[in-house]
Amino acid sequence: MARMKFLCDAERCIECNGCVTACKQENDVPWGVNRRRVVTINDGVPGERSISVACMHCSDAPCMAVCPVDCFYRSEEGVVLHDKDLCIGCGYCFYACPFGAPQFPQAGAFGVRGKMDKCTFCAGGPEKDNSEAEFKKYGRNRLAEGKLPACAEMCSTKALLGGDGDTIAEIYRQRATTRGKGSEVWGWSTAYGRPEAPKSPAAPAAAPGGKS
Amino acid sequence: MISKLMRIVAVASGAMAALMLAGCGERPQVIDYKQGKYQGKPDEPPYAAAPFNGNKDMWERDIRNRTQNQNEYRRIGS
Amino acid sequence: MLLTRKSDSAPTTGPRLKRQAGGRISTMDRRTFLKRSGLAAGAGAFASQLPYGAIGPATAAAESDAKSVQKKRTVCTHCSVGCAVDATVENGVWTRQEPVFESPLNLGAHCAKGASIREHGIVEHSHRLKTPMKLVNGKWQRLSWDQAMNEVSAKMLEIRKDSGPDAIFWVGSSKHNNEQAYLMRKFVSFWGTNNCDHQARICHSTTVAGVANTWGYGAMTNSYNDMQNTKCAMYIGSNAAEAHPVSMLHMLHAKETGAKMIVVDPRFTRTAAKADEYVRIRSGTDIPFLFGMLYHIFKNGWEDQQYINDRVYGMDKVKADVMAKWTPDKVEEVCGVPEAQVYKIAEMMAKNKPSTVVWCMGQTQHTIGNAIVRASCILQLALGNIGVSGGGANIFRGHDNVQGATDVGPNPDSLPGYYGLATGSWKYWAGVWGVDYEWIKKQYAEGMMEKSGMTVSRWIDGVMLPNDTIDQGPNLRAMVYWGHAPNSQTRGTQMAEAMKKLDLMVVIDPYPSATAAMCAMVRKDGVYLLPAATQLETSGSVTASNRSLQWREKVIEPLFESKPDHTLMVAFADKFGFKKELIKNYEIVKDKDGWDEPTPESILKEINKGTFTIGYSGQSPERLKLHMKNMSTFDVKTLRARGGPCDGDYYGLPWPCYGTPELKHPGSPNLYQTSRHVMDGGGCFRANFGVERDGVSLLAGDGSYPKGSDLTFGYPEFDHVLLKKLGWWDELTEDEKKKAEGKNWKTDLSGGIIRVTMKNHGCHPFGNAKARAVVWNFPDGIPQHREPLYSPRPDMVAKYPTHDDKKAFWRLPTQFKTVQDKNVADKVSTNFPLVLTSGRLVEFEGGGDETRSNPWLAELQQENFIEINPKDANDRGVIDGEYVWVKSPTGAQISVKAMVTDRVGPGTTFIPFHFAGWWQGKDMLEFYPEGAAPIVRGEAVNTATTYGYDSVTMMQETKTTLCQVARKA
Repeated sequence: MARMKFLCDAERCIECNGCVTACKQENDVPWGVNRRRVVTINDGVPGERSISVACMHCSDAPCMAVCPVDCFYRSEEGVVLHDKDLCIGCGYCFYACPFGAPQFPQAGAFGVRGKMDKCTFCAGGPEKDNSEAEFKKYGRNRLAEGKLPACAEMCSTKALLGGDGDTIAEIYRQRATTRGKGSEVWGWSTAYGRPEAPKSPAAPAAAPGGKS
Repeated sequence: MISKLMRIVAVASGAMAALMLAGCGERPQVIDYKQGKYQGKPDEPPYAAAPFNGNKDMWERDIRNRTQNQNEYRRIGS
Repeated sequence: MLLTRKSDSAPTTGPRLKRQAGGRISTMDRRTFLKRSGLAAGAGAFASQLPYGAIGPATAAAESDAKSVQKKRTVCTHCSVGCAVDATVENGVWTRQEPVFESPLNLGAHCAKGASIREHGIVEHSHRLKTPMKLVNGKWQRLSWDQAMNEVSAKMLEIRKDSGPDAIFWVGSSKHNNEQAYLMRKFVSFWGTNNCDHQARICHSTTVAGVANTWGYGAMTNSYNDMQNTKCAMYIGSNAAEAHPVSMLHMLHAKETGAKMIVVDPRFTRTAAKADEYVRIRSGTDIPFLFGMLYHIFKNGWEDQQYINDRVYGMDKVKADVMAKWTPDKVEEVCGVPEAQVYKIAEMMAKNKPSTVVWCMGQTQHTIGNAIVRASCILQLALGNIGVSGGGANIFRGHDNVQGATDVGPNPDSLPGYYGLATGSWKYWAGVWGVDYEWIKKQYAEGMMEKSGMTVSRWIDGVMLPNDTIDQGPNLRAMVYWGHAPNSQTRGTQMAEAMKKLDLMVVIDPYPSATAAMCAMVRKDGVYLLPAATQLETSGSVTASNRSLQWREKVIEPLFESKPDHTLMVAFADKFGFKKELIKNYEIVKDKDGWDEPTPESILKEINKGTFTIGYSGQSPERLKLHMKNMSTFDVKTLRARGGPCDGDYYGLPWPCYGTPELKHPGSPNLYQTSRHVMDGGGCFRANFGVERDGVSLLAGDGSYPKGSDLTFGYPEFDHVLLKKLGWWDELTEDEKKKAEGKNWKTDLSGGIIRVTMKNHGCHPFGNAKARAVVWNFPDGIPQHREPLYSPRPDMVAKYPTHDDKKAFWRLPTQFKTVQDKNVADKVSTNFPLVLTSGRLVEFEGGGDETRSNPWLAELQQENFIEINPKDANDRGVIDGEYVWVKSPTGAQISVKAMVTDRVGPGTTFIPFHFAGWWQGKDMLEFYPEGAAPIVRGEAVNTATTYGYDSVTMMQETKTTLCQVARKA
C-alpha cells in the first residue's frame, strides 16, 4: 500500500526555495502563510546545510492528538489533513507540531483562507476532489490527479523527494550508497557519535546537533 | 378519607416515580471523551474519481512510477 | 464537548455511512437509545480515521463543462539554463504549470523563479506596466498607443534631423528571444546607428572577447549536462547554487558519482557549501591564483605536453612569464591564498581529469576581465581539457537569452553572427536582408557605419561628457531602454544626472522598471513608457547557455495593452519610413488591433539563411519544434537522441549547427572535440588569426584533426580558392557553384562549401588551428594582474598598476590610470576600507523589478542587505539586523540592512544587485506609475558603485569597489 512521505536530501538542498514557491503557486497560498520553508543551519560557514520543511504527515500526528475539535484525519496513504470548517483557530496544533507546520493567516484571526492552514501533500481536503471549493480552502489536489506534491516534483536538485515511501527510500538509498556519505546528517551522530567529538567521555561535548 | 389518603399517596408515588424516572433518563455529568475521532466532513480517497474511478491498484502503480521522476538516475544511469 | 458541524454538505446520517461510535450498532434496545440520545454529539461521528463515504456521485476530476483547455510548452525566462515549463491554458487564461520531466536539460526541476512563473499570467493585482504612459509635469499619465507612437517617433525624428541618428542610444535586451534580438540589430542598422547594446556588455562581454580570441568562439564550450562527466570542477567567480540552481542538479549528480568540487570566491557562498575545497580569494585577484596553479602544474610536469604541442600556440611564453612572476610567495601576497592550498587545488585539477572550470561574473566584471578569462582558458589548455567531454570552459551565461542576443542581436561592434562591421559584412547582410547596401549606408552619419558604437555601460558619459571629447558627432540626446534595467549599471548617481539632461527617455518593458522611477524623481517630462509583452506572450526561439536552442510556444495573448517587441519594432519602422525594408522576407499576421506582426518562424528562417559563422543556419523552426515535442528521446548525459523522430540530433541543435537545415547537422554539444567527426558534433580550434606568427605555425600540429577527416594536419579556413586547390570544387552543385564563387564558407549563401567540406571530407570549414595562449590584439598579450581602480591595497597598486587611459574607446575617452592614481593620492582606501562586491540572489533576476513584482518571490527577500564580517561590524558598532549607511567614494550613500555573517571575510562586504526603488534612504514609491511599483523595493547597490571599465570590452568593474559602513545616527 502506498504510504506518502517526504524526504529532503540535505546533501543536495541548495536553498533555492523552488519548493517554497512551487507550493505557493500551486496552492495559491497567500502572503504570510508559509506551508513550506527551507531551514539552513551554519549559514555562511563550512558545514552549512539546508533542508526543506513542511508538514511531515506523521504516523502519530501530535496535531491530530491535541486538536480539541478533532478536525484532523489521516488518509489511507498516510496524508494528514484537516477540516477547516471545524477548525476554531486555537493554535494548539501549532503548539504541538515539532516542525511548525500549522500556519495562520496574518489578516485577522479568521483570515481570508480560514483558520489553520498547512501542507496537504497536495491532497486537498474534505471537499469534493478537484472542485472549486476544495481549491479555495485547501489548494490543489494533485494526488487525485495521479501526480505528486508540486514542491517535490519541481525541486531544483531533486533534493526534496515526495511520494510513495518505499520508492523514495529506494531512491535515497541509491544516492547514499553511490556517494558513500551523507546519511550522517540524519542522526548518525546521535546513534554512533561524532567523529570530531572529543574522545574522552569526561571532556565537555560540543553542543549536539548544533554545528555538524 | 381513605380514598383521599390513597389519592395523596398515589400522587406522591406518581411524583416519586416521575422523579425516579427522571433520574433514569439523566445524562452522565462527565463526557466520555474519545480522543482523535475525526469530526469533520468525509473525504474521498485520491483514486475515487477519474481517471482512476476507484481503481486503487492503478493509482498506486501510477504514483510509484511517477515518484521515479524525482530520481535522475533513472534517466542518467550512474 | 464536541461541536455540531455547520456545513451543508450531504447529510451524513445517510444509510451509506458507517457509524462506529464505540462499536458497530447492530441492535439497539430502547434503553440504550434513551441513554445515547442525550449526547449532543454531531450525529454520525466518525470514530475511524477513514472518513471515506460517498459525498455524492463521483464526477470527473477535471472541469466537466466543455472549456477550451490547451497545453503549451514554453521555457522559463529567468536564466540561461532553459528549464521547460508546460502551461495549462483554459479559455485563454493560464491556470496551471507542470514540470516537464522529459526535458533533458532540467528533468522537470525548477528554482524559485521557474516554479512560480505562472505569476506572469495573473491579471489581478498585477504590477505590470499596463498601458502606454507619459510623464507630464512629474506625474504619470495614460496615453493611447497611437498617441504614444506618434509623439515618440516625432521626437526621435526631430532629434535625428537636428543631431543625426547617433544621438539616440537603443539598448536592446538579453531577454528578447532570438528573433526579436536579431530584428533589433536590423532595425537599429536601418535607423542608421551602431549605438545599440544589451545586457551581455555588463555580464559576459569580457568572456566572449577573451575566449573567442583564444580559440575561436566565445561561448560555453561544453554544457551543464556534460558536467556529469567531469572528475573535478572548479567554480571560480560563480555562485551557481543561486544563479543557476538547476545546473547544480548535474553537478551534484557528478559529485555523487565521484567528481570533486572546488569553489574559489571571496564569499563562502551556497555553492561553496557544497564544495570539497573552498578557497577564499581577494576580490579581483584571479590571475595570480590561476597562474599560481599553473606554476605548480608546470613545476610538476602535470601539463598535457602532447596537447600543447598539437593544439596550442605560445604556451612556452606563458610558462616563462608564469614561472618568473607567480611564485607562491607573490601569489599569496596578492590574492591571499597560501601555497599549500594553491598546490592542492592545482593537483586536484591536474590529477582528476577531465576537469572543468566554471566562471561567471566573478571573473568577468573587472577592468582586466578579458585577461582573467583568458587566464582560465590558458589553464584549461595547459591541462588539455578543452575539446574533451567532462572538461571545457563552462561559462554560465546569465539571462535566458543573453547567449542568443550576443550571437545575433544588438551588439554595437558587430552584425548578427559576429560578422563584424567591415564593408564586406555589411554587404553580406544587405544581401541576406534583400536591401540595397548603399541605402543602408545613407542611413548612417558619415564615417559611422563601420565604427563600433557606444556601450550601455557608458551611455551616461555619452550624454554628459563634453562634445569635443567623444568620438561621434552629437552627444546622446535620447535613450531607449528596451528590455533592460538601469540599476544593473554602475554610477547610479551620475546616471540620475544624465537622465536629467536627456531630451527623451523611452522605456519599452513589461514593467515600468527603475528607469521610470529614477526619471520621475529627477525630471518632469520627456519620458514615455511603452508596455511590452513578456516571452510567455509570444513564441520564438531562445538559446540556453550550452548553446541549445529551444522553441517557446505562445502561452497567452499579451496582457493588458502590451505588445510583443517585434510588433513594436515594425511599428516604429513604419513611422521612420523603413517598414518595407525591415519586413521584406517575413510572413506578416495581424494582431488583435490590426497591427502587423512578423511571425517568429519567418524571422528565424532569415537568421538561418544568413548566420553561417556560428552555425545558426541549421536550426530551422521545424527541427526545433520537433525537438520540443520529443524531449524524452534525448539522452541526458550525451544530449543525443537515440531513435525517435530526432534520431542523431543533439538536443536543441546546439550551435554551431552548420550548413543548411537540409544538411541535417546534429549540432555541437562540446566545442572543439577532435574525438568526433565534424558531422557528429566534433570540431577543432578555429583558424582566425593567420597562418603563422613569428615563424611559428598557428595551424594545428600534424596528427591533430577531427576524427575521420580527410586532412590530417592543420589548415586555414575554407574558401572557394582552397576548395579548388584541393580539387573539391566540382562536388558543388551548379547552383551552389554560382553562389560560392568568390566567397568563403561564411559568405557562401548556398551553404555548399560547408556541405562539401564537412559531409564529404570530414573537415572543418573554419580551419584547423592552434589555440592562442598569447594574443597580440589585446592590451596584455599574456594575462597580467592589475589592481582594480578602487583597490583596497595601495601597495599592490604600486606593484600592479592598471592600464593607461584611452582616448577614444567605444567612442568615449576612458580613464584607467588617472582614476587609480587619484584614489591612491586621495587615500580612498583609508577612508573607504571595505571592499564592496555585489552579486545574485536566487529569488530575483537582474535589475529585479519583474521578479520583485511576483509576490511569491518577493516575500522571500523583502529587504536589501549588506553582508559584513563580524570583525568589521564590531569595529563600527554595527549590530545584525539594523539599518546602516553604506558610503561610496562618489559621495553617494545607500541605506541597507546589516547582515553580520562569516560568509564574507574581514575587509569584504557584499550587497545583492537586484534591488531598486529606494534612493539614498528614500522610498521611490511615489515615482512609479500607480499600481505598477514592485512589491519589494530597496536600495540599488549600483547607486553607490564607481568608475572602472574593462580594457577591451568596456565591461564595468562591479565586482571590486570600495565603501565605508556606518551606523545610522
